[in-house]
Amino acid sequence: MHELLQTTVNGLTTGCLYALIALGYSMVYGILKLLNFAHGDLYMVGAYIGYFVIQWFGGPNAVSIPVPLLLAIMVLLAAVGVGVLGMAIERFAYRPLRDAPRIAPLITALGVSFVLENTVLLLFGGFTRSYSTPTFISFNSGITLDGVRIDSVELMIFGLSFAMMYGLHQLVQRTTLGKSMRAVASDREAAEMLGINVDRTIALTFFIGSAMAGVAGVMSGLAFNQISNTIGFLAGLKAFTAAVVGGIGSIAGSMIGGLLIGLCESFSASYVSSEYTDLIVFGILIATMLLRPTGILGQKALQKV
Amino acid sequence: MLLSLEDVTTYYGPMRILEGMSLQVDEGELVCLLGGNASGKSTTLKTILGLVRPRAGRVMLAGEDVTRWPVPRRIAGGLAIVPENRRLFGQMTVRENLELGAVLQDHGHFDEDIARVHSLFPRLQERRDQLAGTLSGGEQQMVAMGRALMARPRLLLMDEPSMGLSPALVQQNFRIIKEVHEAGVAILMVEQNATMALSIADRGYVLSTGEIVLEGPASELLGHDELKRAYLGA
Amino acid sequence: MTDPAQIGRDEWVARSADRRDEGTGLRRVLNQLDARVGWWPRLAAVALGGVIVGQLLTNVNLQQVGFNSLLYALLALGLNIAVGWAGLLDLGYIAFFGFGAYGFAIFSSAALGTGGSGGAHLPAIEIIVIVLAAAGVVGVLIGLVALRLDGDYLAIVTLFVGQAFMEVVNNVDPGTLGGVNGLFGLDPLHDFGGQVSSTLGYYYVALAALVLVAAVLRLLDTSRTGRAWRALRDDPLAAAAMTIPVNRLKVMAFSFGAIVGALAGILFAAQQSTVFPTNFTANILILIYACLVLGGVGSITGAILGGIVVTVAEQMLSSPTDAGYLFYGLILLALVAKVRPWRRLAWVLGGIVALGFAAHGIVSLISSSAVAGHPGSTGWIGSVVSNYVIVPSNPVGYGNVLYIVVLCAMIAVVRLEGVRRLLAVIPTVYIAACCWESRLIVNPAITTQIMIGVVLIVTMAARPQGLLGSRRVEIV
Repeated sequence: MHELLQTTVNGLTTGCLYALIALGYSMVYGILKLLNFAHGDLYMVGAYIGYFVIQWFGGPNAVSIPVPLLLAIMVLLAAVGVGVLGMAIERFAYRPLRDAPRIAPLITALGVSFVLENTVLLLFGGFTRSYSTPTFISFNSGITLDGVRIDSVELMIFGLSFAMMYGLHQLVQRTTLGKSMRAVASDREAAEMLGINVDRTIALTFFIGSAMAGVAGVMSGLAFNQISNTIGFLAGLKAFTAAVVGGIGSIAGSMIGGLLIGLCESFSASYVSSEYTDLIVFGILIATMLLRPTGILGQKALQKV
Repeated sequence: MLLSLEDVTTYYGPMRILEGMSLQVDEGELVCLLGGNASGKSTTLKTILGLVRPRAGRVMLAGEDVTRWPVPRRIAGGLAIVPENRRLFGQMTVRENLELGAVLQDHGHFDEDIARVHSLFPRLQERRDQLAGTLSGGEQQMVAMGRALMARPRLLLMDEPSMGLSPALVQQNFRIIKEVHEAGVAILMVEQNATMALSIADRGYVLSTGEIVLEGPASELLGHDELKRAYLGA
Repeated sequence: MTDPAQIGRDEWVARSADRRDEGTGLRRVLNQLDARVGWWPRLAAVALGGVIVGQLLTNVNLQQVGFNSLLYALLALGLNIAVGWAGLLDLGYIAFFGFGAYGFAIFSSAALGTGGSGGAHLPAIEIIVIVLAAAGVVGVLIGLVALRLDGDYLAIVTLFVGQAFMEVVNNVDPGTLGGVNGLFGLDPLHDFGGQVSSTLGYYYVALAALVLVAAVLRLLDTSRTGRAWRALRDDPLAAAAMTIPVNRLKVMAFSFGAIVGALAGILFAAQQSTVFPTNFTANILILIYACLVLGGVGSITGAILGGIVVTVAEQMLSSPTDAGYLFYGLILLALVAKVRPWRRLAWVLGGIVALGFAAHGIVSLISSSAVAGHPGSTGWIGSVVSNYVIVPSNPVGYGNVLYIVVLCAMIAVVRLEGVRRLLAVIPTVYIAACCWESRLIVNPAITTQIMIGVVLIVTMAARPQGLLGSRRVEIV
């Protein structure tokens, strides 16, 4: 029972991160109908930004500012840095292809992902780096409920993820920007005909989606310690699975999908075999697509034929 | 002169669609643009709105050269369009669709504008929280008109307002267009239903293969032999 | 203006030819040439050219490059069936390549024996028949999954298929599949008492396979099936409405692609005589995509050309001298192609040269250590640029910064227009050269990967139809 609960907590932690990445995937897919393969790599870049912030403020062993402040700076810089990077990628790589055949931006996205991964390899080397989180955030901080440990990093991940998702939901439902985003997603030309600034709306969508991936990167660095230039590929793939399982285009769906994938992973690692985790996730994806292609919460878009 | 196109030539990719096209719409006028399939009618509207840029010629709006203006600036300058096939945002509510029509407008007069649209189309008030995609064709046309009016246009562009509507709805639709026109909004309407369009229009142009081949007062065009043979089935 | 005869005539189609913007100069000549030369003479020319080139490949390294070129051309051809013709974005293609390679490895090594001895060691024909048939079946199975999925979902599922293949060969039954250590000691291709033993021999085998596959694909492309695929790609709904068997065609596209991919895998494994899981990573997949995209999605000739160009370029990048030719040559080519008129081009080129020597001169006056490093290029390019680029004695950090600056500068160049863009091009090229000499050329492996990514991005933005393709390709 105890192990079961602990596995659940671990799964939810990973799941929150997948959910954050999945949201960005989902938003970009919604507005451009583009599978942004580079999205997972943005998460990786976020993790590196967090790492260098720690180094900048004295390294994990001698952090020169209060830890909460350090964490805030890490999250903020990763969000802004990766957000701007995402916008730049959109401007540079995807915007020229707005009206191109669908395959063109997909191939571009592969190229962008490849460039990002190898750029980080060139600049920072291919070896694995460690956040060394335990040296500045004690494992014993946090809470223990009935013998189940939830450490403070996990608490932070839960809190921040849910706050961001709630904020995003409000943004999309209530604000003019959110309505413009939905309008552009539903019919770009019609939105343009109303005077909505389509370029700016899409750029901001990329900013928000990428920023969330950047934050997820920082938090995964804190939670799992290990980062390298290749962590983006699999994380991106699983996050996309989460988005699809939950129903692409739906915020709540991405969240549920992310949590579900996280739980599946941690349970299969604990109870089946860690080697087959990816295959199990893959199996879930295939099953979802075959049984309910629109995902758990997704709705079939009204398609004009 | 509210709108004038001066010698406009527009390309789509490598294809020349409009060639040396000139037309004018005066303040408060209702002008219709007739023509067969692929004669360049919709491209004309897109050129006016700024969705495509002409390779040559000028687009003048209320005395200003707007040829290089982006779309939002033109809309803020008094243009609005009811697009072909209405193009509503089906997954959003009627109210949200109307709000998006006013996206460039000052929030101060939003309530006043929406009240005006509701008084013109009382049905939309009943259906305000319904998803636009679930409305009937006639109601969707109302939303499209209302959405365009939310932008407080001085010139309303209409792309085939009767397309896909039943004859009874077409009648109703043209009554509404007339009503909007009588409220002082100038209208440039693209239409295939020539008789109906000319019956409410002040003036008309006939477009063929990207060139204006005929223009004149609506009453005169209605009596034009060649035109009758081509479009009016007489 | 009031020519009444025109009213109501829809002459758009009839007059579309004289409304078309025809291009001028070289572009026009090339278009006309392209339209005149038939397809079969071209294939014959490729075959003949291949044989002649084979005679010129005098050392093993060159022969290996030749073999790799043909291998990637073959892979691109196979990928083209699903992606270019049927419009299905298949990101699991690498699994078919790996399937063929592992299939060959299992039947031609000790894998099926016990304790490192025994094993199947079948002759080539038998293996080829077994593996290709099995690959066809696997293709059908994956194609069946594809039936349920639209374009983008299909992409992600197939990407997972590629990943799953890696997981399987890494983790499942290491006794047979070799795990991370792979399989080694494979027989060369042998049958009828003979065997292919030299690299040049494999070059000719690959050439024969390529010509054969290209010919079969051409027949397929111009057959009912080929037309039906194109219909499917352009509008699946309309295709279905016209009673084109959409499902069977999708499955066929995957299956045929799988067979060609597996054939390439067999050749690869036989020539290399080993297989490792790392031979079949996503990096290789992207390389194959680069071949296809560069050559032109949808075009047989394009796929072959792309395979050759990408492999040769990759090889050139690994030698500092050749890499220099490639880098400076491409910049020159891009400027010549994009900057007009000629006078303006001369100004830009002059500006690039003058800026460099001036900057080098000024910096060397201020600090001699700032220019103390050696450019990465060797040969005459190295000696020319040693007074041109600024390379400090410890160039790594400097080069990293420049790399970021170059990326930003490129974005700026894209955003600017007209004369400003030309002015921005000058320092961008110069900084790129400095970065190249101080950092990129020193790391050929990473640089190759980055350039492959850039090739994908730039090709899609500048010329989505690739070098040769002309067809519109749409995933619906």
